[in-house]
Amino acid sequence: MKDIMRVKCLLSADIEMLINQQIKKEAHSSAIYLSMASWCNQNGYDFSSDYFFKQAEEERQHQLKFFKYVLDMGGNAVSPEITNVKGEYNSFREVFEEALDQEIAITQSIKNIAARCHKEQDYVTLEFLNWFFREQREEEYKARRALELFDVIGEEGTGRWQIDKHVGQISYDSEA
Amino acid sequence: MQETLSIPSIKFAEVFSTAEGAIYQSDSENCWYIDFAGKMARFDYRNLLKLKKAVYQIDIEGLLLNSDKTADVEILFICACDHCYVLSLLQIIKLKELLQGTFTMLELNHIIYDRLHRLAC
Repeated sequence: MKDIMRVKCLLSADIEMLINQQIKKEAHSSAIYLSMASWCNQNGYDFSSDYFFKQAEEERQHQLKFFKYVLDMGGNAVSPEITNVKGEYNSFREVFEEALDQEIAITQSIKNIAARCHKEQDYVTLEFLNWFFREQREEEYKARRALELFDVIGEEGTGRWQIDKHVGQISYDSEA
Repeated sequence: MQETLSIPSIKFAEVFSTAEGAIYQSDSENCWYIDFAGKMARFDYRNLLKLKKAVYQIDIEGLLLNSDKTADVEILFICACDHCYVLSLLQIIKLKELLQGTFTMLELNHIIYDRLHRLAC
């Protein structure tokens, strides 16, 4: 008996489901960043607002990368429904704390897919995920550095203005 | 599983069967034939997955506990598929059992293929 399922699709049902969940998480993440950009803009933090606009766009690109991968491998990519996007923050600092939490959650989630790939010996998807692990190194670095500005500069006086100015300058250029 | 039977010039291999029905695979047509609820219906790869999703999504427990005066029937309609099923709750349970068995056997077939092909290379 032919293995028709394998002929039609490279991904197992479980991996396909996990990647579809990841597509939803990336879309959710993009929506949250957009919400953060809105909050920062309304509160006068222009550079931070731009920073979050860029992050929202990046998460959207990640979502599409996963989406196209599922389709390229013969699977069923599902366009997700996004709900539960927080719109209000108590402080400038809280925005960045949540941004870092967000990135950590995404890294953990991709690690979870990789663990499943190891179990199923799906080396093709594993290799595809490597790009995301490299990307997450940058994302977590940037989020962590931004949050550290609050401790290094301090929020007193014109502190927040300084922090906002420096957020846009954070970059990660490690070749390692 | 490898037992073949021939119905008007099409070769089938039985994937899984229960007392109420059976699912056969046709290698030459790359599709499956579902013998259930008094008819033989042809499903290709996409439609079989859509049927699986539709059946698995039915909240059987919810329907069992539902005491409303509604008809004990579910209509399974699959987009871009020629067939539709109108099933009673008991039939849904039987169809789900049939599909679960089928997907387990297809998974097993995949594992055997995977191991054999990789060792042969």
